[in-house]
This record gives sequence, C-alpha cells and structure tokens, in this order.
Amino acid sequence: MKEKIIALMEEILQVPAGTITGDTTMESLEEWDSLAHVMLIGELEAKLGIAIPLDEAVEITSVAEIFQKAGLA
Amino acid sequence: MSHRIAVLSNVNMNFAVRMLARELAAAEPDTALYQPEGYGNELGTLLDVSSSYEAFAPDITFLIMDVLEAVDHDPDAGSERIESWFASLKAALHAERLYYVSDAFLWGPESEILRGDDCRGALEHRWQECLRALCAQCPNVRILPYRHVIEEMGAENAFSLKMWYMGRILHTNEAQKRIVELLLHIIRLQRRIPKKVLLLDLDNTLWGGLAGEADHTPIMLSGEHTGLMYRNLQRVIAGMQKQGVLLGIVSKNNEKDAMDIISSHPQMVLRPEDFVAMKINWRPKPENIAEIARELNLGLDSFVFWDDSPAERTLVKASLPQVTVPDFPDRPEELTEAMVRIYRQYFEQAAVTSEDRQKTRQYAENAKRSALKTQALDFASYLRQLAMEISRESPEANSERLTQLVNKTNQFNLTTKRYELSAMQRLLQDAGKRVYLYRVKDCFGDNGIVAAVIVDLTEAVPMIDTFVMSCRVMGRNIENAIIEDIERELYRQGYTSLRAKYLPTAKNRPVENLFEKLDYRILAADKTGEKLYEITLAPDRRRDYCARWTGERPAP
Repeated sequence: MKEKIIALMEEILQVPAGTITGDTTMESLEEWDSLAHVMLIGELEAKLGIAIPLDEAVEITSVAEIFQKAGLA
Repeated sequence: MSHRIAVLSNVNMNFAVRMLARELAAAEPDTALYQPEGYGNELGTLLDVSSSYEAFAPDITFLIMDVLEAVDHDPDAGSERIESWFASLKAALHAERLYYVSDAFLWGPESEILRGDDCRGALEHRWQECLRALCAQCPNVRILPYRHVIEEMGAENAFSLKMWYMGRILHTNEAQKRIVELLLHIIRLQRRIPKKVLLLDLDNTLWGGLAGEADHTPIMLSGEHTGLMYRNLQRVIAGMQKQGVLLGIVSKNNEKDAMDIISSHPQMVLRPEDFVAMKINWRPKPENIAEIARELNLGLDSFVFWDDSPAERTLVKASLPQVTVPDFPDRPEELTEAMVRIYRQYFEQAAVTSEDRQKTRQYAENAKRSALKTQALDFASYLRQLAMEISRESPEANSERLTQLVNKTNQFNLTTKRYELSAMQRLLQDAGKRVYLYRVKDCFGDNGIVAAVIVDLTEAVPMIDTFVMSCRVMGRNIENAIIEDIERELYRQGYTSLRAKYLPTAKNRPVENLFEKLDYRILAADKTGEKLYEITLAPDRRRDYCARWTGERPAP
C-alpha cells in the first residue's frame, strides 16, 4: 500500500519515479504545494479509498503523516 | 505562429493550467500561457480592462464553465442567469481574439434530484442555445467540446466533491488531464494547415474482398458482421466529407466493376457524386495521384492516401514524398477508429465553414475543366524496391489452390477455362498437359501462390491453354517473368514455337493485349475479339521484369 500511495503521489505531482520516499515532506518537494495537496487528498480517496477527513487533511505536511492516516504507520 | 493562451473558469482549474503549462513548455515552447490570479472569477477577469489578463492579451481564451455554479445552484433563476452570463461575455469579447466556451454538462450534489422534472436537461439546453446563438453572431467564438470529455469518462470518474470542498477543484486528476489534452489539440489545430483530399483504394479498403473476382455478391459490404465494419467506415468517411474533406478513389480495378458497386450496391454509403476524382484503372497509383493533383489544381502536400496494400503505400511514399500515407489497420474492426484518427490528425479544422461543406461540388466541377496530362514516374525503381522473388511450386501438392486460382480469377485470365477439382486432378495426371504454378514474395512478405499456367502439348505446336494471375500482383511485370520461364523450358526441350489464345469476356479486358506486348504474332482474330497467337522460341529472349528466381526449376 505504501508503494501505491507513493506511486499515486508521483503521478499527480508529475515527478520522476523514485523522487518520493517515506521521508518526503511538503517543505522538501517544490511540486507539493497547497494546490497539488488538494488533488492528492482527493485522489487518495478516489483511487485508493483512503478517506482523510477535511480538517485533518489540511494539517498533513509529510508522507509519513499520510501513511499514518492510512493506518500504515 | 506563436500563441498566447488563457484558461478561465468559474471553478478552480489552476491545477489543469499547471499541467497545460508543462505540456506546452515541452511541445510548443513558443506558446505563452496566462497565469491566473486566484480562481473562479472568470467574468471579472474578462470585463476588467485593467486586469493582468487584459495586459497579457491572449489570442485564444478557453472558458471552462460549470453550469450549476454559473446559475448559483438556483435552477428557477437558471435561464435568466445563463442569458445574463452570455450577455456579459459578449460585452467583453475582442473581435480579433478567439474564444472557446465549454458546452454544458450539468453536475453537482443535487444534479440527481434535478433529473426528476428534467430541470437538468432544461438548464443544459438553455446553455447550449445561448452558446450556439453567440457562436452564430460572433465568428470568433467557438464551442469547446467539454461535455464529450465528461461523457467519455463518466461523471463518477470526472468529478470529486472532496477536492471541491478543500479547494473548489471540481475535476479529478484524470478529468483535468483529458481537458488539457483537448486544449492542446485545439491549440495545435490553429497552426496546422489541414490536408484537403483523402484518396482511397477500393478492394479491402472501402469494402471487403475483391470487386470482379466472383460472380455473385462480389464484395463484403452489408449490415452485418464484417460487412458492417466497412459500411461503418464509409459512414465515418461520409461524415468527414460533410466537414469539407474531399474524397477521391485511386484503385486498381476494372472501372465498370467498381462503378457498378459504387453506383448501385444497396449497402454503399458513399456514391459517385461524393468523389471529386476517380482513377479506377491499372496504371501505377502515383501517376493517378499526380494527375488528380493537376486536375484539382492542388499541391501534392494536400493529399492523404489510404490503401490496404503495403506495396502500394510504399510506392506512393517513395514516388510522391509530399503525399501523406498513414498506416492501415491489421483488422477490419479497427477501420473506423483508424479513420477517426486520420481525421483528427490531418483533416480536422479549427472551424468548418459553409464553403467547406460545398467543397466537393466545386472541386468536382473544376476537375472536369482541367486538362489531363500524365506524368511519368519511375516505375523501374518501384519494382527494384519491391525486391520480388518468384518460385515455382508443385501443382500436385497445391491442387486446391491451383483449382481456386483457375476458377476464381476473372481479370487476369486469358481464356477463362474452368476446371473442377476432379477435372484438375485428371489434368495433373495427363502427360499431354503441363501445369506451372508460381509463388511471389516481396519485401513486405509472401503474396502466396498467385499465378498458374496450363500448356497443352498434344498438338505439334504447344499451346497456352490457361494463364491466370491474381490481381493482387498485377502491374508488376510478373507475367513477363512467367512467360520467359515457360518459353525457355520449352525451347530447351526441343520445341521451336509456342501458341497462345485470348478469349474475351466481360472481365478480362486488362489482358486483351498481353501477347501483343510480348511480341507474339496474331495468326487469327475474329469479330468477337478472340485471337490466336504464335511466337518462335529463341534461346536467349529476355523479358522485361525485375524479380529474382528462387527455389528449384526442373532441369530440362
């Protein structure tokens, strides 16, 4: 599942495969801005069934937190 | 020509704008893209003369509109709000700029409920009416086929409320990608010079099977099965013709056989009047194409040539490199899809005018006025490129194919004598008869066993009783190679001359002068057209052909 999440993020952010790891943060990745973040949260729910409540979604700033919300931590 | 592009919307399309920027930077680097400030304020942006949008001065503006948002989710006031939106847009238009406005696909949390009293349909309809009216008044406003994008992928895959709540983004990643593809396609259409004429082969291109090669229902063209695939292909082509594409035929057939089908076959969609030029003959296709170009007074770069035969496609590509020659699909069920791609890639125009729709008639008239001239092309180099190989095949081991060739071939058939399988078996045992069977390969592959000759040795002078060849390989001088092969073998075996016959039928005119061309003397000819020939065999008579013999030839 972690690989699927990372692959989906790389597709939406349009970065080369291998760019995103479990340590990636919003801060460290230029393409991951607030606009892209909205797309990410929406696609995580639509494609992978990972439904993160809105108020929690806006707080997320790292891949680790996404794993955690998906129950993968 | 470089372009300045803007994308405006009443929802957040900024992520799509980012995708488009990336695509344009890679594929159309001289195109500039407006960076929107915020989102959703499309009318404010358009109407504000001091906006950054005005300063950017785009020459194409795309307006992607969500109808439910545009009417502020108030269906009762919907009609009025739609009208007022279009009135505002009209006031903001610059005559020298192009605008693409999306058509209506109404979707939202309440859209299922609105379906009940067809409120949804009514709102979409009102939007379409206003859009069409504006397009009719302003030639610089065109419809952006947004609805088609959503329908293709389905609303459930195109929209996401989660993103909407988080950031007023209505469309999923996939939907935005497809919208961006559509915008890119339209941007490219602006700078492309479309092709004008689609030239079509007939057999196995416009219909299945070979015209003139069987006595009844000679072609596959019907309302069912494979026939329907060709009929549907013709429907697509007919649609293209209505969009201004000129159609022509360049085909190797007997003209009468082909014209009978085009004029009278009940399942034909395309009819003679749909074509501006028809070259149905046995001449090399590049000659015919060059002639059509002169008759229509169009450059060769206006032509697209479509033919199922890779040999013909290669010849046209090699002889007329300005002509576009797309690939042909392997299976008939892919025909319509392939033709739609050809339309999109080569013919689609940014806007279709009423003149476009009249084009077929105009060009047909012009063509009649033009004088005909033929341009000699290098046929010899075509034959060299084909790199043909001919070999003899055992008639005994291939008696079914032999029988089929002799009984089904109508056009290249000198005497049209038919032999049933049992008669053919007896003939193969007969010491007084000799049967020759030939296979032809070329650089594209094996054409199979394509020619048969039966020589009668019972008289003092041997006689060619039967000479048939598949029309697949006609026009390549293979007959010369075959005749040379037989003449030489007979000479080595002590024969000094050879006779041949031509018996005319309704179908075999293409070979009526074959033996004259091969320097045979006419011994007798009658009013019906029947001719008897003879030639004196010589040890080293060379026939004109370009093919290599392979395999074994029986020793004398």
